[in-house]
Amino acid sequence: MAPHRIALLFNANKVYDRQVIAGIGQYLNSTRVEWDLFMEEDFRCRMRDIHRWQGDGIIADFDDPDATDALANLTVPVVAVGGSYHDSAAYPADIPYIATDNAKLVRLAYDHLIEQGLQRFAFYGLPPNPRSRWAQEREGAFERILAADGMESSVYRGSPTSAGGWGHAVEELVAWLRALPKPIGIVAVTDARARQLLQACVIGEISVPEQVAIVGIDNDPMAQLLTRIPLTSVIQGAEEMGRTAAHLLHQMLRGASCAGTRVLVPPVGINVQASSKHQPVKSPHVMRASHYIRQYACLGIKTEQVADYVGISRTVLEEHFKRELKQTVHQAILQHKLETARELLAHSSTPLADIAVRCGFTSLQYMYAVFRREYDCTPRQYHEAHRQTLPS
Amino acid sequence: MNSSLSAQPWGSLPDGRAAHRWTLRNAMGMAVTISDLGGTLLSWDVPDRQGRFGDVLLGHATPDDYLKATAFMGALVGRWANRIRDGRFELDGVIHKLDRNDGPNHLHGGFDGFHRKLWDVGTSEGALIVSLTSPEGDSGFPGEVHVRVTYALADDGTLSIDYEARTDAPTPLSLTSHPYFNLNDRRGDIRDHMIRIDADAFLAIDATGIPVDLRSVAGSAFDFRTAAPVGARLLWPDEQLRVSGGFDHCYVLNAPGKGLREVALVTDPASGRQLAVSTDQAGLQFYTGQKLAGSARREGGQYEAFAGFALEAQAFPNQVNSPRSGEVILKPGQTYRQSTSYRISIG
Repeated sequence: MAPHRIALLFNANKVYDRQVIAGIGQYLNSTRVEWDLFMEEDFRCRMRDIHRWQGDGIIADFDDPDATDALANLTVPVVAVGGSYHDSAAYPADIPYIATDNAKLVRLAYDHLIEQGLQRFAFYGLPPNPRSRWAQEREGAFERILAADGMESSVYRGSPTSAGGWGHAVEELVAWLRALPKPIGIVAVTDARARQLLQACVIGEISVPEQVAIVGIDNDPMAQLLTRIPLTSVIQGAEEMGRTAAHLLHQMLRGASCAGTRVLVPPVGINVQASSKHQPVKSPHVMRASHYIRQYACLGIKTEQVADYVGISRTVLEEHFKRELKQTVHQAILQHKLETARELLAHSSTPLADIAVRCGFTSLQYMYAVFRREYDCTPRQYHEAHRQTLPS
Repeated sequence: MNSSLSAQPWGSLPDGRAAHRWTLRNAMGMAVTISDLGGTLLSWDVPDRQGRFGDVLLGHATPDDYLKATAFMGALVGRWANRIRDGRFELDGVIHKLDRNDGPNHLHGGFDGFHRKLWDVGTSEGALIVSLTSPEGDSGFPGEVHVRVTYALADDGTLSIDYEARTDAPTPLSLTSHPYFNLNDRRGDIRDHMIRIDADAFLAIDATGIPVDLRSVAGSAFDFRTAAPVGARLLWPDEQLRVSGGFDHCYVLNAPGKGLREVALVTDPASGRQLAVSTDQAGLQFYTGQKLAGSARREGGQYEAFAGFALEAQAFPNQVNSPRSGEVILKPGQTYRQSTSYRISIG
């Protein structure tokens, strides 16, 4: 029997879509089911042309507002993948739907901020757009959670990101951040939005996480690379969505009816990084110094520069650090460098020499020495130990 | 490991005998409480991602609650973990009839199994040793069996459970421990937990829970070789999930006969806790607690369905009525051994 011809209609330019497709691939590998997959060579999809395609089944991104209409009159089995909706009438009728559970993504981010001891919360979303209805769903989920807990929330949607209007948009974002009561925890609708928040906090000299703790959604490695303060982020169950979608289509191709099947996939975890590790710090000097250290530790700064930035003497700064953080300024700098290095070792294949440079170690040998002392292993051993435990 | 292990009084049984509990502690500040009633794991306090302690085991409040309950919470289970079809088996030409306490079948040692007995307790080098003599004819099983189980809590968060048993006449024997876990002590049921099980196959069951077929997990809701969320899998259309209202199936673990190996890993995204299960057994029953609704809750009130999950390392259900029955018969002069450990850490 010839393999089934299956179209995967995704705009696979985001980490989420690529993970969904990876999940479909995992399902096919695990079952040895052979599908002849149709995808556009640039991994973008043109829904409008799909009626001309002669195939046996479709898995499509229903976050795309064109999908419902474009796939309405097809006779082949279709499985929908997209965001969950609070209102069940918003789901396409009769088509099996595999959703990322927007309410649970937001819930995990919010619970994490609560655990950090925060008592005020805000949400940074997106302006309404038919292509990103999930953003409104996440915003709605956030507001419902806060209302249920009897808390006030501040929601800011900002403006659509455009090169021309960016300067103005950042000014407005900084103004919103400044006006918020502090300390506050902010849930950003995506990591891309979280990255803008971090940027605005730097411009506005607002310390993260002491004054503003930030959690994004997607755990996008790209956003991690582009932020100086490592970003805490909720990890979506996108691969499991792909596996589930493939399973349902596989069943439908064998004649099963999956109409009405709706599977909401919860987040698989939260990658906790510095942007949300809120510790109530009383001394404004320590707060200011910590902010500076997180910004510049990896550029090889010394205690002297931190004291200069804060505007007090080294001795006084050390006293404040001892009292509040039970460590010296030098130890705080080193700790940040080590945490950054560990993150890179565990989650990237960056060469060790590059990691040493990026984390502000004067030499690779010095990084080895510090690693041995602090963790009783070499950076290479750390890298290997953590690569093996990565979820496959 | 820990220092002083002393018995604390824990109420009395209807016949007047006193029940006790002991607490194992480790360097991480974990505390495991174990009772002589059923050799039961009562509670396990462990830190979450924030370093806050919470109990990850489901349980009842009093000895009386445990005696009235039917969920086998935290108990040592014997002589036979899981089900035996129609509560009967044949051994050396003799048909033995057992308690039928689960519809037509025998389950977990019957009405008055190991989980309801008052075990003897001793200590050795920080470990707790519980032992029991199961008399000839206990719940219908032949031979007098002596069982000894050692509980130890290591500083890395590993709770090891090592079993030894001897008999004076041939008898089927498969022992297990039946803790129900919920790694998130603060909110919700276990459906948002992620689970990985190292098994390429599982045993499909009939409507009474007896295995009827060995099936590959590939392409099904049962495939947890890559970690997946429990609740989302419960929504997959699957006839085997409908049979039991959730997962209540025995996985055929990979690498049988390779001794103690890690076979399952459960993570809870909210608390950051993870549970690794290691065992030398061939089977691992995965039960998602769908029948827990109405069970008495330690803190008062009742548990809801899916409040906790169980991962029970054991021989295969009804194996005593299968061509492989010889593997599960303990004979005089032999020593039954099984080792299982649960390790909790922050993922």
